[in-house]
Amino acid sequence: MKKELKEIEKTISSLELNSQTQIQELLNIFLKTHLKRSKIDNFIGDYPTFIEPVHLEENVKIGDDVLLGPNVFIGKNSEIKNYVEISNSIIFDNAIIGENIKMDNCIIGKNSSLSCKNTPIDNCVVVGNVKTKEDLYKIMYKFK
Amino acid sequence: MSEKRKQEIHRIKELESINLATEDIREFVIETKKEVEKDNELLANQINNKLKNNGIKSIDIVGAIGAGKTAILEKIAEKISEKYRILVICGDITTRVDADRIEKHNVDTVQINTGRECALNAYHIHQVLKSKDLNDYDLIFVENVGNLICPSEFKLGTDKRITVVSITEGEWVIEKHPMLFKMSDIAVINKIDLLERLGTNLDKMVKDAKNFNPNIEVITISAKTGKNIDLLIEALEL
Repeated sequence: MKKELKEIEKTISSLELNSQTQIQELLNIFLKTHLKRSKIDNFIGDYPTFIEPVHLEENVKIGDDVLLGPNVFIGKNSEIKNYVEISNSIIFDNAIIGENIKMDNCIIGKNSSLSCKNTPIDNCVVVGNVKTKEDLYKIMYKFK
Repeated sequence: MSEKRKQEIHRIKELESINLATEDIREFVIETKKEVEKDNELLANQINNKLKNNGIKSIDIVGAIGAGKTAILEKIAEKISEKYRILVICGDITTRVDADRIEKHNVDTVQINTGRECALNAYHIHQVLKSKDLNDYDLIFVENVGNLICPSEFKLGTDKRITVVSITEGEWVIEKHPMLFKMSDIAVINKIDLLERLGTNLDKMVKDAKNFNPNIEVITISAKTGKNIDLLIEALEL
């Protein structure tokens, strides 16, 4: 699993205009082959809803009324705020996902902070820190 | 009272109870509730069409904790898993206990842990189906969270609904839960192997179910001994 995650991390750190197909393939393969079962026994928070498979690394903080899954990987020390919904996505370590962000088929880079609220996103890579919806839409890399 | 606690109470008021809502938000709460119900119904219809178009039969099972929903599914799976390619979606507040039990009978499972929600809704089922190749299945069961109240609020888009009760819950259990029996196709009364010992009035239970819903088929079974499981499979047209 670690090897594949590293490969994805490397790919999203140097995205090119024609990386779309490669990203979708890497995401699909990772989710299909490494997330057959859930690992959800170690989160900090108050009873979110999980549709398996969901894999949480250590020290993931989850807010109220969160729906995770299916096919979600969340790296260590990441924080998922209230009312968030995530499916078919990878969130790398130390990321923050702001309140009421709805996300499908996305990859969020290490240390990224999406501090905006009430934002739906799909089919994209986001690496960086944003505080508004507009900034988030500006920096996202759509791959579909 | 802490700020967090106040926020929590406000949130529950908004989302869950019209009676608790203060006058200024009452209309908003009612409109929101109507919209949510409408959206669930629409999505349930979409799910049913999608499953039908793919030639998949679908059945959901509701009932209280310990009524025997999982045991019944295990017995059914045992008997028909060679004939059908089966997916079972299991709802529980937490744990994967039920999915693990059913999976041993050669069927695929997906566990949904609802956390604080007391029933599955159509969106949960929609999300699961979206991530599956429907060509892989001919039959889908949904085992709802153990509860005889909340599931009546949410249709899931299945062809048939079974409500399971057991004689250990007492002969008044059906009389006290009219909604689920009104919207179910089959009522299963389980644990009849204990009938002699408990002396539960089984006739009253059957009569109550029929009173609420004259079209409901009532089947008395024992998931433990396997008695009348064949009758249930027949009633499900499997």
